[in-house]
Amino acid sequence: MPTRLRYEDGTIRIDGPVPDLAFVESDPRSQTGRAPAFRYADLLDALADAEIPYTDEVHYGTTLDIETAYELREYQQDALDSWRAAGDRGVLELPTGSGKTVIAIAAIAELGVPTLVVVPTIDLLEQWREELEREFDVPIGQLGGGTQRVEAITVSTYDSAYLRADELGDRFGFVVFDEVHHLGGQGYQEIARLLAAPARMGLTATFERPDGAHEAIADLVGSRVVQIEPEELAGEHLADYDIKRIEVALTADERERYDEHQGTFTDYLAQSNLQLRSGEDYRKLVMRSGTDPAAREALLAKQRAREVMMNADRKVEVLADLLDRHSEDRIIVFTAFTDLVYRLSERFLLPAITHETGAAERKEILRAFRNGSYSRIVTANVLDEGVDVPDANVAIVLSGSGSEREFTQRLGRILRPTADGSRALLYEVVTEETAEERVARRRR
Amino acid sequence: MLTKDLLRVSRAGGGYHPQFVGEAHRDLAAQVIGTYQGHVGESRADLESALTALERDAPDFKIVRGFGKLLDREATFETRAPLPPERARRAAFEAAEDVGVVTETDRERALSRAADRLATDPDEVEASLYADLEDRQVLTAVSARYDPETLCQQYDLSLAQTALFDATEVRIRSDDPKAVISAVKRLRLMYEIERTGESETEDRSGAQREVVVTGPTTLFRRTRRYGTRFARLLRSVAKSTEWRLEAAIDDDGTERTLSLTDTDISVPDHEPVTDVTFDSGVEADFATRFQSLDLDWNLVREPDPLASGAHVVIPDFAFDYCHADFRVYFEIMGFWTPEYVAKKLDRLAELEDVEMIVAVDETLGVGETDDVEALTESGAADAEIEARGHRAIPYSGTVRVKDVRETLRRYEDDLVATSVAALPDEMIPDADVTTIAAVAADYGVSEDAIEDQLFPEHEQVGRTLVRPAVLDELAAEIEAGMDLNTAEAILDERGIDDASAALARLGYRVEWEGLGGGTITQREGASR
Repeated sequence: MPTRLRYEDGTIRIDGPVPDLAFVESDPRSQTGRAPAFRYADLLDALADAEIPYTDEVHYGTTLDIETAYELREYQQDALDSWRAAGDRGVLELPTGSGKTVIAIAAIAELGVPTLVVVPTIDLLEQWREELEREFDVPIGQLGGGTQRVEAITVSTYDSAYLRADELGDRFGFVVFDEVHHLGGQGYQEIARLLAAPARMGLTATFERPDGAHEAIADLVGSRVVQIEPEELAGEHLADYDIKRIEVALTADERERYDEHQGTFTDYLAQSNLQLRSGEDYRKLVMRSGTDPAAREALLAKQRAREVMMNADRKVEVLADLLDRHSEDRIIVFTAFTDLVYRLSERFLLPAITHETGAAERKEILRAFRNGSYSRIVTANVLDEGVDVPDANVAIVLSGSGSEREFTQRLGRILRPTADGSRALLYEVVTEETAEERVARRRR
Repeated sequence: MLTKDLLRVSRAGGGYHPQFVGEAHRDLAAQVIGTYQGHVGESRADLESALTALERDAPDFKIVRGFGKLLDREATFETRAPLPPERARRAAFEAAEDVGVVTETDRERALSRAADRLATDPDEVEASLYADLEDRQVLTAVSARYDPETLCQQYDLSLAQTALFDATEVRIRSDDPKAVISAVKRLRLMYEIERTGESETEDRSGAQREVVVTGPTTLFRRTRRYGTRFARLLRSVAKSTEWRLEAAIDDDGTERTLSLTDTDISVPDHEPVTDVTFDSGVEADFATRFQSLDLDWNLVREPDPLASGAHVVIPDFAFDYCHADFRVYFEIMGFWTPEYVAKKLDRLAELEDVEMIVAVDETLGVGETDDVEALTESGAADAEIEARGHRAIPYSGTVRVKDVRETLRRYEDDLVATSVAALPDEMIPDADVTTIAAVAADYGVSEDAIEDQLFPEHEQVGRTLVRPAVLDELAAEIEAGMDLNTAEAILDERGIDDASAALARLGYRVEWEGLGGGTITQREGASR
């Protein structure tokens, strides 16, 4: 009996003889050999090397006759060539706004195999699907945002891909991970493991992760094949930008409430002899709050203190000034707090997007912003990554979590070249003498 | 299932013990149910703050949250607004774009423009803007699914399911292994049957084998990916009456063991199946007829699953021998199609090393199978099964108990021979008077096994063993002309209840008087 390969729930089941390979295990449950699906390409190579005849029943469908009208810029073409030279595998690290999507589309057209594009947010999901529909004359599938439809070319959120990877893992010959640094998370890594797709491309503006998980990504998707810093493209392909920082004070009333809550929190730390030096310490405190009511009370107080600070009335006043000053500009307002998003939306009647916004309304708002019907928009963190909002030239960040990546990518949002080439402007509005301010200072 | 943040486990002693509420928090459950019912007509935000107030006094806020999570699924929330909120928003945002809202006055102007466009009042636009936000929706109904007791039961089940989210492997024993296997397959998991230790345990109902459940990729690395599927599996497992589940938990890198049994949790709204159900009339019929006989074999319905290569076979019955730890499996094969036959024969060929009897319906022969090469020359069903190392009983219509009895008899003969071989050459029971049955029970063998045994110090009187000295005493006490009742009383005193055999041995017979009594008389030809 010749060796027979079949895809089974995120694995390749191997009946018959196999060469002795590190990644092939003998499975007592099925009494066959078995390999993780992501080793499929390696497995084919090994069988060919050992001259073992085999039948391959891992079919991911027919080839696609598609092409793209995009003319790649020189650095885009170089990036694509390096990726192909690396065996159709690897990560491209390019600044936001450099046209990563265009490179991926060119790759899809060149390979012409069924392709899965995995993206972190609903907004990116919509954006990729629309872009692919515009470019290719084939139906585009979608997994996420309330739709579950599989086509030869399909866009999926990381969450949907995680849930369905073992079932769909043999449907695609090529997988694109947009914002590939997400793949570093233990759970999401499974997506890449369960897919059989031999060709893999990762896209990101910030590949390296402080937790070292980019090494795991390199194992699953391929190593970094291209790295371009924002400075290399600034001026020529990306808009220059300036940052302005505005500090506001808490009102007397807010200060009092802030001190009270913050006091409850620091008192608890003092009494329980806890110090918060790292995220790990904080995690311990959160764990302790599960069983210790005092710890829970302290955490709730900390949260209320943060809310006072984030919701500071004077920030709303500053925003009024900025909206007034930039009445002719296109403005995105960011804040991490959903409650604040709705407060600002109700106060200034700004179209708002949060995780609660339905897919249809979210799409409508983004479209209206793109086509100029709306010139202002307020969002929670949901637009953090790579969403294409062309020609916005003013961003106002009302609160920040202090994560390095989050910050650069928010900046990236307005680093799009505008029609007249004018400099973009980023305002960071922070409250004086608070933890939040220290976070902001640390960034610079 | 709850969310993981609501999980309550104790890691005492290195274990992983979900903190079940049992009946301890029924009052709290009642309070949470009451809070939901009392907030019909109010906003979710108000409901939430009432629940937060309850949390303060609760022993653990997570219990309140957990109860709330379960009740949320029974609650209906609706948007209450004068206008469809999305329409009100669009009108307001478009008007605001035209006005360029900065000040409060700008805002009012935009709202009244929007109201004009919608032919309504600005107040209505304002009130509708975000009335559909989750917090502002109104609780309109709570279904009466739970009372405090069933809420606690459901909580415990959900808590155990949540604890399984981090499981990497589960091992299950159940009195309904068929249901477990079919749930495993439905959930796209994989399993192996493992024997655990020797079959010396008292509990014969599948206790010697367990189903080890993992996911396809578990082969390569421990993963929590299948945790939610294990959680769903638990629901199927917990529906049976007797079960035990052990899970390996990956607790942030530390391996822990979670043990659950039918005493921990049950499925509310679900009556455990106590009456045995049968797949087919043939099986039900057989069970009834077999049990009406008093044999040395106990019938076990749906015994433990057996490994057959990469598959599992759960026979219809097993027979447990009463006098030894010995089990014979019994499968009734009916409904034949060529594919079914081929598959069955494959499974039987690969079956692990156990004793198996297969009843085959001779009206539907194996001759119909296409896979001729797999068959022996005869092509007869029973021959095929015997060729695979099992005993076959052909049947037509109904399985004859007599045939099964005869087949079992063959095992009995072997068992008797084996147990006789293990018995001492001579048996000297301590008691002056005992029975074959009692001695057999003492040695844990069947009566057949000791019938031919030597009892040098006892005489066998019927099924009773009596020391000669006792017989001599009896001979002195019992005399002709004695009332039967008196004689029986004397025999009974010595522990002999088989009066007729004893009297015959002593040379008497009974002269019957009517239905009740009688008189002892000398048997003719017998000398004293």
